Amino acid sequence: MRIAFGGIQAGFWWYMAAGTVLLLTFAGIGLFRGAVPIDEGEVLAVLARHLLPGERIADPSVDTIVWSLRAPRVVVAAMVGGCLALAGAQMQGLFRNPLASPGIVGTSTGAATGAVFALTFGLAGSFLLAAPLFAVAGALLSLLIVTRIATRDGYTPVTTLLLAGVALNALLAAFNSWLIARSWEQYEAARRIAYWMMGGVTDRGWVHVGMVLPGMVIGCAMAVWFARDLDLLLEGEEVAASLGVDIEKAKRAVLWSAAILTGSAVAVSGVVGFVGLVVPHLVRLLLGPVHRRLLPAAFLTGAWFVVGADLLARTLAAPEEVFLGVVTAFVGAPFFLFLLVRHESEVAVSR
Amino acid sequence: MTEATGSARRAPRLELVGGGVERRGRWLLRGVDLAIEPAMLTSVVGPNGAGKSTLLRLLSGTWRLTEGKALLGGFDLSALPRRQAARRVAYVPQTVRPTFEFTVREFVTLGRYPHENRLFGTRSADRGWIDSCLDDTDVLALAERRVTTLSGGELQRVLMARCLATEAEVLLLDEPTSNLDLAHGLDLLGLARRLACEGRSVALVLHDLNVAARFAHRVAVLDGGALIAEGPPAEVLNPDLLRRVFRVEAVPLEGSAAPVFDFEPLG
Repeated sequence: MRIAFGGIQAGFWWYMAAGTVLLLTFAGIGLFRGAVPIDEGEVLAVLARHLLPGERIADPSVDTIVWSLRAPRVVVAAMVGGCLALAGAQMQGLFRNPLASPGIVGTSTGAATGAVFALTFGLAGSFLLAAPLFAVAGALLSLLIVTRIATRDGYTPVTTLLLAGVALNALLAAFNSWLIARSWEQYEAARRIAYWMMGGVTDRGWVHVGMVLPGMVIGCAMAVWFARDLDLLLEGEEVAASLGVDIEKAKRAVLWSAAILTGSAVAVSGVVGFVGLVVPHLVRLLLGPVHRRLLPAAFLTGAWFVVGADLLARTLAAPEEVFLGVVTAFVGAPFFLFLLVRHESEVAVSR
Repeated sequence: MTEATGSARRAPRLELVGGGVERRGRWLLRGVDLAIEPAMLTSVVGPNGAGKSTLLRLLSGTWRLTEGKALLGGFDLSALPRRQAARRVAYVPQTVRPTFEFTVREFVTLGRYPHENRLFGTRSADRGWIDSCLDDTDVLALAERRVTTLSGGELQRVLMARCLATEAEVLLLDEPTSNLDLAHGLDLLGLARRLACEGRSVALVLHDLNVAARFAHRVAVLDGGALIAEGPPAEVLNPDLLRRVFRVEAVPLEGSAAPVFDFEPLG
C-alpha cells in the first residue's frame, strides 16, 4: 500500500506535490464559487488588489465578499485541518495506536468546555475573542490536569495518561451537557453552543486566522523538532531510551504541541471530527511511519481535506449550509471503516 | 564486510559499584559489584527472576539506580546526557515484535538517533554506515522489507544491525538468542564473540549454560537479586554452584575445553 515510485523519499515528494495541487484547486473553487455569483475576472481583480503591490480599484461589495468572507474561510479551513491532522498524527505515534485522535487526552473536550463556558455566561457576547481564548485555555488546562494525575516520581506512563484522558473526556462531556441544559431557556445562547459544537468555519474572518496562527506556528515548530523522537517512541520507551531519547521530555513536548494545535483549531472551528483520526492513519498507510515525512504530509492532507469538506458543506444543500463537522464525519467515518477492514485483512495475511 | 566491526576502538570498562534498585518496595537487585571488561564477552546467567534484565538496564543507564553507581570508564554514567550515553553503550532489550511498518533500513537507521542532527536527520555518511551494519549481520538483502514481515531469526539479526549502527563500544544484549534456531543462534553468538575480540565490551543474558560456557570469556551468575559469582566459566560453573543456584544436578561431560554439563532434576 506504500507509495514508492523511485524510492520512498521520491514517493513523499510526489505525494506532497499532489496534495499541494489539490489544496490550491479546492481553495480556488472556494474563492471563485459561492452563494453570490461573481465573475472570475472580478475575483482575480480583488485578489490582485490585496496580494500584488501597487494601487488597484475593485467594487467594494465584491471586495467584501471575496476578501472578507470567502478568503478567510478557506484559509481558516486549511489551518484547522492541518492542525488537527498533525496533532492526530502525533497522538497516534505517542500512544503507539492508530486509533488515537488529537483530543484523546481530553484536550478537545476541554477546549469545548472552555468555549461553552464562555458562551453560556454571555462572555462571548460582550467580547468577540472570549470563546476562542477560553477554548485554548480549556485545552491546555485539561492536559495539565491529565499529566498531573498520570505522573508519579517524574515518570508519566502513557497507559495511565490514556486512561486519565478517557476519564476526563467523559467528565467534561457531562459537564458540557449540563452547561447546555442550563442555558436551554436562553434560546440565543443555546443555539450558538449547538452550532459551535457541530463545528464549522462559516463567517470566519481574518481575525480568526490571526487566532489560529500563533498556536499553529508554535505547535508545528515543536512537532518538527520532536518528530524523530516519535519514530523511536513507536518502538517502546525502553528501546527509545536505550537509543538516546530523553523520553519524559519528548513525551511532554509532543503532548503540549498537540494540545496547542488542537486547542487553537477547536477554538475557531468548534469540534470538527474525524480529520485528526482518519487523515494521519491514511497517510501512514501510504508513506510509512517515519514522522519526518508523516507529519508534514498529514498537515497538508488535513488542510485540503477540510477545505474540500467545507466546499461540500456549502454546496450540498445550498443555499442552506450543512455543518462542517457533520460532513467530515460523514466522509471520514465510512472511509475509516473501509481502511480498518482492509488493514485488518492485510495484517491477517502477513501473520 | 568487516567495516562495521573493524573500526571499534578499545572499549571503556563499564562497571556497577554497589549497584541496587528498588521498585515498589522490593529490591530487584542489590549490592552488585560487577565490571563488563573491554575485549571480553561476558555472559549473565541465572534462574528466572534473578535480576538479569534489571542488571542490563542498570548498566545501560536506562534505569536509575536506587543505590550505588554505574561507571563508564570511571565516570558516572547517570551524569551523561542520554544521547551521549547512547553513543557509547548500546542496550537491546528482549525482543518485542514491531507493530509499525518501518522498512528494515528505516528500522536500523533508528540506531543513528544519538548521532543525528535534529532537523536534517541522517547524512550520506550515515547511510553508508547503515549499509555496512546491514551487511555485517547479513540482512542487507532484506533492506527494503517491512520489519513486520520478518521471521524471528531475521528480526534478531536486524536488531543486532541496529545495535551496531549506534557505534557504541559497549553492547548489552538481553536474551539475543531466544527466538533463534540452533544455526542462527550460533551465528549470532559468533558475531558477538568476534565483536568482543575486536575490542568491544559485550554482555549477553543467556539461558543455555553450556552455550554460555563455550562462548563467553567471563560468566556472571545472579540469583535472587544478588551477584553469586563472576569469573571465567571454567572456574565459576561447577556442579556445586549449579545445584545451589539453578536447583539442578549437573553432571560434567568429558572431552571438551569449556565445561559442558548434562542436567538432571534434583531429587
